[in-house]
Amino acid sequence: MGIEVLWEAFQLPFMARSLATVLLLAVASGVIGVFVNLRGLEFVSDGLVHAVFPGLVIGFAVASTGGLIWGAFAAALIGAVLLTVAERRGLGSDATIAVVLTSMFGIGIVIVSRQQGYVAQLEQLLFGRLLTVTDAQLAQIAVLSAIAVLLIAATGKEQLFRAFDRHGARAAGRGGFGVELVLNVAVALVVVAGAQAIGSLLVLALLIVPAAIGRLVTRRFAVLFPIAVLSAALAGWAGLVIGFTASVGAGLTPSPGATVVLVLVALYVVVLLGSLAATRMRRAAVR
Amino acid sequence: MGFFELALLEALLLGALCGVVGTIVVLRRRAFFTTALTHATYPGGVAAAILGLDIVAGAAVASVGLVLIMTVLGRVRRQGPQVAAGIVLTSGFALGTMLQSLNPSLPVQADTFLVGSILTVSVTDIVLTGVVLVVAVAAVALVGKELLFSTFDPSGFRAAGFRPGSIDLLALGLIAATVVVAMPAVGSILSISLIVAPAAAARLVTDSVSRMLPVAVVVGIASGVLGLLASRAFSVAAGGAITLVAAGFFVLALIVSQVLGRSRVRARA
Repeated sequence: MGIEVLWEAFQLPFMARSLATVLLLAVASGVIGVFVNLRGLEFVSDGLVHAVFPGLVIGFAVASTGGLIWGAFAAALIGAVLLTVAERRGLGSDATIAVVLTSMFGIGIVIVSRQQGYVAQLEQLLFGRLLTVTDAQLAQIAVLSAIAVLLIAATGKEQLFRAFDRHGARAAGRGGFGVELVLNVAVALVVVAGAQAIGSLLVLALLIVPAAIGRLVTRRFAVLFPIAVLSAALAGWAGLVIGFTASVGAGLTPSPGATVVLVLVALYVVVLLGSLAATRMRRAAVR
Repeated sequence: MGFFELALLEALLLGALCGVVGTIVVLRRRAFFTTALTHATYPGGVAAAILGLDIVAGAAVASVGLVLIMTVLGRVRRQGPQVAAGIVLTSGFALGTMLQSLNPSLPVQADTFLVGSILTVSVTDIVLTGVVLVVAVAAVALVGKELLFSTFDPSGFRAAGFRPGSIDLLALGLIAATVVVAMPAVGSILSISLIVAPAAAARLVTDSVSRMLPVAVVVGIASGVLGLLASRAFSVAAGGAITLVAAGFFVLALIVSQVLGRSRVRARA
């Protein structure tokens, strides 16, 4: 197998669909992840990821596979509102987020445990199935990602103001409940979009890690976005190639979602070490 | 003892332990750190299962490594503890998923690590929980004052000549040990609820730390035992039921504190 595996694998329709899924999610989560990073909303995002879970379960119970997306959608919106309200009312300590997160998740667990053979379902909901994304699901992912990015684009200035100067934004009347809710809803939409494909828990990696890479590389706000999106896209593409090669060439069965995340984390570690080395060299040069 | 009595004993001990350690977690604002740790011990458990070792031992080794990584990463400029916890959480989870997907013949299912199974706890698990509980109570009795001092006034603590490193390490060690012993019973995702909710509830309805700790312990025990009984009565997953009872106590405390706060304001006016 030569270098052509880097693109040839994607001539297979299901691989092309997986790549499209990952690239769409890379754009949406890269853009929104920057604001998550600047606002320090990593834990809130984790909360939303778990909050989606009971929605998936209830949606599946009510309307089978077709109900998944609507259940997730409803639960994510409820979670986003709950977490925003908790923060506004001064209950935004991380203990409150932890309670909201686990109790929503607990509801999901209690409901699935009433059904037969819930282990397989649970695994599918948590880990997703990147390689079996259908055209219809891809369209859903595209729509949800687009809405999430548009929400953020429309309130970009307010989001930035709120991220850097909470009190100033509030005093200017532009950092209100709405701005916070919009960001949380955007995160929730990305989580819903990604939940089916790469699993609700691994979506979180796409929201957190690319933006963290951006923060390591640059101090300029506008440059954060392309770096976050590119590193997520790169990891998505490389992860799929590695997963494909491993299963075709070596007969292994690595989880594609987990492969993408691990490539992304490896990229983060490389950039982290590089940035630490660069800082040290700069300091040595000053001396 | 039958399996249900064993489970009750585990729920009792674990509830008490989570009350004690949860107080430290809530006061030191370590909930996200603890969440990250609970998720990230998952690959340790899977790796141990693959190697045929004890799952709790694997989780313990993983948690020590992760505490170190998070501490180092939290100090890097423009990264911080939130990012560190987020990265450890997601990479730990991905690693666990990966290990499991590469070993499809693994006899232990993912849900055992994720949601636990308190009805199948072994006597060893119960003894371990008891040991960690004794250590936690002893730590609070012996160095509780220092623990509080460093929690509420870190710079004052350093100025007074104490070394913050060792007390931090003690707090982190207690949290990690609790996460590890809670995993077989309530699982790596749900344990966070039993750790945080009772202490958060206690904080809402008390106004001093010396009262918060015993209230948290009582609520923790009540959550564990009532959750277990509810799971038998309604035949639902025990981990989920315990989580929901603990969350229910938190909501109750929230309502009580709002009502009390309002009546106090009215009394003053």
